[in-house]
Amino acid sequence: MLSYAQDKVADYIEVRAHNAKNEQLVIKNGTLDSFSLTENSGFCVRILAEGGLGFASSNRWTKDEGRKVVDAAYRFAKNSKRKESISFTEEKGAEAEWSVEEKKKIEDIPPEDKIEELMEVDESLAASKIKIPGRIIGCTIGLTNKYFVNSQGSVISSLVPKIAAFTFMTVVENGKPEQASKQFGRSGGWEAFDEWKMVDRLLHEATTLQTLIKKGKAVKPRKMDLVCGTEVTGIAAHESCGHPMEADRILGREMSQAGRSFIFPGSLFWLGSKIGSNLVTVVDDPTIKNSYGYYEYDDEGIRARKRYLYKEGVINEFLHNRETAAKLGMRSNGSSRANRYDREAIVRMANTFVEPGSFTEEEVFEDVKYGIYMKSFTEWNIDDRRFNQRYVGREAFLIEDGELKHPIARPVIETTTETWWSSVDAISKNLEFDAATCGKGDPMQGMPVYTGGPILRLRGVYVR
Amino acid sequence: MNDAMAKTEKIIKTGKTLGADEVLAKTTFGRYRQTRFSNNQIDITVAWNSYITDVVLTWKKRLVATQIYDFQNVNNIVKRLFKLAQVSRENPKYGGIAQGNFQYSRPKVDKDLQELENPSEYVFEAIETARREVGAQANSGGTLFTKFEEIYLTSSEGPTGQDSRSAIKLSMRTFSQTEASGHAVECSPSLRDFSPSRAGEKAGKIAKLAMNPKTGAEGKYDIIFDPLFFGSLLGTWGSMASAYMVMINLSVFVDKLNQKIASKLVTLRDKPAEYSIERRNFDDEGFPTQENVFIDHGVLTTYLHNTSTAKNFDTETTGNAGIVQPTPWNIEMDAGDMNQSELFKQVKRGLYLTNTWYTRFQNYVTGDFSTLPRDGLFLIENGEIKQSLKDLRLSDNILRLLKQVKSASKERQHVHWWGYEDVTPALSPYVLATDIQMTKPT
Repeated sequence: MLSYAQDKVADYIEVRAHNAKNEQLVIKNGTLDSFSLTENSGFCVRILAEGGLGFASSNRWTKDEGRKVVDAAYRFAKNSKRKESISFTEEKGAEAEWSVEEKKKIEDIPPEDKIEELMEVDESLAASKIKIPGRIIGCTIGLTNKYFVNSQGSVISSLVPKIAAFTFMTVVENGKPEQASKQFGRSGGWEAFDEWKMVDRLLHEATTLQTLIKKGKAVKPRKMDLVCGTEVTGIAAHESCGHPMEADRILGREMSQAGRSFIFPGSLFWLGSKIGSNLVTVVDDPTIKNSYGYYEYDDEGIRARKRYLYKEGVINEFLHNRETAAKLGMRSNGSSRANRYDREAIVRMANTFVEPGSFTEEEVFEDVKYGIYMKSFTEWNIDDRRFNQRYVGREAFLIEDGELKHPIARPVIETTTETWWSSVDAISKNLEFDAATCGKGDPMQGMPVYTGGPILRLRGVYVR
Repeated sequence: MNDAMAKTEKIIKTGKTLGADEVLAKTTFGRYRQTRFSNNQIDITVAWNSYITDVVLTWKKRLVATQIYDFQNVNNIVKRLFKLAQVSRENPKYGGIAQGNFQYSRPKVDKDLQELENPSEYVFEAIETARREVGAQANSGGTLFTKFEEIYLTSSEGPTGQDSRSAIKLSMRTFSQTEASGHAVECSPSLRDFSPSRAGEKAGKIAKLAMNPKTGAEGKYDIIFDPLFFGSLLGTWGSMASAYMVMINLSVFVDKLNQKIASKLVTLRDKPAEYSIERRNFDDEGFPTQENVFIDHGVLTTYLHNTSTAKNFDTETTGNAGIVQPTPWNIEMDAGDMNQSELFKQVKRGLYLTNTWYTRFQNYVTGDFSTLPRDGLFLIENGEIKQSLKDLRLSDNILRLLKQVKSASKERQHVHWWGYEDVTPALSPYVLATDIQMTKPT
């Protein structure tokens, strides 16, 4: 296909093929509801010609179909009729083969063992003394093989095994329901289940919900200190740093769907602007081994590396693909990802987290006279500029004179990105990650990522 | 019989020969095109052709499923699937798939959409219309999507059918200033009823009205919801009406059948009608689709079922089978009795919300949630739009919202939201709901 496409007059051509073997199991209240397996494979071509971009794909593996796909992409590119031409950065071609190691190979685990592993989790929840009438445990197991070539001489192949589990539970106490969802994810083999300790963590969630119903008290709204657990730190890093630093938003390419950013050419916020306290450094790093967002080359054939998004409280580096980097006179930093063969690669996060600080956990708490410890969250959302956000606590406690007191029912912080990051005055030394599926794109491309960080202390923020 | 149907039927025969109890196969030949645009220019046109067969196989109440992308290897795939069923576990609550031979109406489909190769002229028309509304500073972006699908379904339990489905959807957002925008959509199963300039005009008008926004004040408001906003909520209620969502507690409708849960003005129906972009003759079990009123004058009358969930609830399927779980197709709210301007006149002091996103729940059973209005958000005083606002969030309860509906307009619009492939389209009026909590960041 690449050689057929190269007969055409184009500035850039890439061909990407995916073969993804996926299994999905759903356990619903102790019953295996469904078990599906799919092997989806297909290819796509993207062509930059006459200042426009075209993309086409198919899962029919014939030479004739391949040529039709190339012709369509080329035709679309030429029909763009843009006043302002799109250009890509000049990047060196790369030749690479990369893969993720599996200590326990997914393909060696028989389906009945996979069912058994998940059933044991459900049985542990069902056997607990807590009433959990709603239990959903889903698991997806994927083995994705990609092959990428482009007109700059790149030839890259990869093999990535990935496992994820999604859980949702409803706990009822005194007739009142509370709910929690939890996601687990990892690149690698079946050893993921040994690391996750799902039973312990889900039983902890169930206990949290039960305690919340029995003992949770409302918070008296006022300004106070807010200590964020690593899960809350992670979602804030993802939503109010990672997303607004995506250069396609910044340049308006996502203006209608995912939205724009509070950072844009001519705004108060740009590279070098202060956005948080000096303690705050937020990074996005695809190179963390076995992470859920791990990759070595992005889907435009660019070598992955760690990106310092906010550095010591200053807006430092955007997430780029070839197109956005060229437009801003920069280099791609390998942030272009697609979740299937039939989707255009767009600017995405990988593993976004706050870098650890110098405080012990005790030091973070001991200086709080009155505040809330929001260890985890339930409802959250943020506007499409990524500035006005809200997080509602799931597991939360009152802090008085540095001591944890009774549980707090659903405390809410609703604030701006600038206030959030500027209020940080203590960051703990520890670093923890949670798996998540980042949503962006139209059609939606759910993308595996880590969110994470240490414990943060926000001084004097309004909590209700 | 054409080649696609023959291949689909062969899957059934292979599965049954192996010993499966039930086998269902649905082949979809899909031809999809999307043009994405921003900053008044086309960014990329994307095409994806797909040739995929969904297969569901059961054996002794064990349900397994697959998608076949490669027709060269069908026998091996079905054999592997059957082996999987044999090592799987029984689901005692599994209630089977639709049985019988059904007659379906002839599919009505727009062949022009199948042949539409380059829809960029529609994009330019929409951009230009918005520019005429806003002026030279108008900045528009969005997506134009077309689909043409041919479906071949066959089941070991009797149903066999063919269907064709077409749709064209435009979603566009126009900015008049950095913090002032309007969003509008246009969708239709045929080119004949599709008007890109209608969306461009609405997006442009809202964007112009939204200029120079001020931060809104927290408090309770009477709110007029634009069809785009309310349609998004209709999709949420529609999903929550799925019996599967009820069974897993992802629904405010748990244990509320036959109860009054909404204002008497609220009648919601799932209706995959000819005019809907999700029109279909049969569901994924081959059962004929039908119109289902699930909230009738405020009373929750039914959940949406496939054959299996219906058996669990001791009722009949409603023709909403997705491949594994029931799903809504097209949610409609019945029209009210006043026109849009009369609706506005009812509001002494309130808000007009034109669009939303990021609807998230604290608890799906109780319905505590928030959603973030975006694009035009306006203060209404004495029935007139007085000021463009920003930075407000609707933070209330989605069940309570149904109870607070006080009026609906005669006019209704077909709307669809973007993003998730399974977003349910809706036909929604303008809706007035009173005493709704809005919050803002501090």
